[in-house]
Amino acid sequence: MFGYVRPPLDGLPDDERDRFRRAYCGLCHTLSKRGAAAQWVLNYDFTLLAILLSDSEPATETRRCAVHPLRPRPCFASTDAMELAADESIILAYWQLRDHVDDNGPVKRQPFRAASGILRDAYRQAAAARPDFDRHTQAQLEILRGLERDNCPSLDAPADAFAVLLRDAARDVQPLTRRRVLEQILYHLGRWVYLIDAADDLRKDAVSGNYNPVALRYALSDGVWTDAARREFTLTLDHSIRGMTTAFELWDFGAWTPLLERIFYAGLFQVGRSVLDGTFHRRGAHVPQDTNDDESEAD
Amino acid sequence: MKDPYEVLGVAENADDAEIKKAYRELARKYHPDNYQNNPLADLAEEKMKEINAAYEEINKRRANGQSGQSAYYDTRRPSSAGSAYYGGGTLQQIRRAIQAGSLTEAEALLNQYPERNAEWYFLRGVIRYQRGWMDDAKQDYQRACQMDPTNTEYRQALHYMEHGPAKTYSPYGSFGTDLCLTNLCANACLNPWAWCVCPVFCC
Repeated sequence: MFGYVRPPLDGLPDDERDRFRRAYCGLCHTLSKRGAAAQWVLNYDFTLLAILLSDSEPATETRRCAVHPLRPRPCFASTDAMELAADESIILAYWQLRDHVDDNGPVKRQPFRAASGILRDAYRQAAAARPDFDRHTQAQLEILRGLERDNCPSLDAPADAFAVLLRDAARDVQPLTRRRVLEQILYHLGRWVYLIDAADDLRKDAVSGNYNPVALRYALSDGVWTDAARREFTLTLDHSIRGMTTAFELWDFGAWTPLLERIFYAGLFQVGRSVLDGTFHRRGAHVPQDTNDDESEAD
Repeated sequence: MKDPYEVLGVAENADDAEIKKAYRELARKYHPDNYQNNPLADLAEEKMKEINAAYEEINKRRANGQSGQSAYYDTRRPSSAGSAYYGGGTLQQIRRAIQAGSLTEAEALLNQYPERNAEWYFLRGVIRYQRGWMDDAKQDYQRACQMDPTNTEYRQALHYMEHGPAKTYSPYGSFGTDLCLTNLCANACLNPWAWCVCPVFCC
């Protein structure tokens, strides 16, 4: 379900792109504290979570890694917020894999079973450090499974189950105003991610017969949009983006402001458009390039 | 009080036109229209007050004690479910609970209310909207409008769901997944029904 946050880095000044890359690399190094396997959960969505949970720009340190073994890279040092984001990312990724194991048949579930097995040790450490978040994640995913089993025709009920799960990532944030702002952003980010994922899976689910709330809500046949359904769906997506932008404007995110502004006011719309016109393609996590990078991706 | 120039994000030596522009930009961002029924509307209202106070202070200082410019944006939230009291005791209580942000209490009262009338659907829509259940909220507003097509409050709420605020703030000018939809507002202006719902929203 993750992989839909695509910061439009091309339109950002070099120093903003570098700041995002340092956050991405910083989260990767923080994840590695739970074992090398944990680094596989790294993606832009979780980097955004780490940025939102960081109340200020962390200190920069220089590190080598498996992807960049030759030239040390500047990355953000681990902070409490970075560690919280890393643990929550591992817990969310692990339970999503377990969900795929339960949802698929004996053959198709094998890759997910293997991946969750590889991640299990990191998950155990993260769950021990964040037991409330782990418990709450399982409870919300159980609600989601129940709604899917019942073929719930509402868009909002299953989206809420996922959105509440993401909102919970900010449950311990202080002060209250910042927590309220982050909870609103994360709720609507979760709702948007769930809905855009359902829209992206429309045709696939039509073939497989899997539950798809978008198809049920708008009574779509064979996973094909009608103009009216597409328009309605776009409006509800935009209301969630409005929920994010109006919340975003109520807190000073300091150095992160230009990047977050670009994500909320431009990046989400771009992804939404490409999902709806069928041009969106999932791709694996990759390291955003340094602006003066002379080290190849392969190193 | 915070430095008024800092609040507006301008230098102390900025000219009047720059200050006015900065003020207008911030007022557009935090305008109550953008936060209708938003669970964070109270925070936006505080921001708006702070911006108005800063603008007033700068104008006062520059006018050497004369009264400042008076064209300030209204900080009050637009009429919402919390501000119109009618429809019987329990429904009134539900509106108060919504206004106080006690959505669980409002929902419990709503579930106990025996009649499923237009007001009931409207209030359920407001609760759902505040919870982030945007699609279900819109369906409730539609139901309320069908049951009582003459009610302006219900029609305004539905209009908001279909078109958003009159001018959604965006630093990039446009706002929307499908930018063609942003032209719908212009189309709605040609629709007499939409016009009578709320001409302020469209034009």
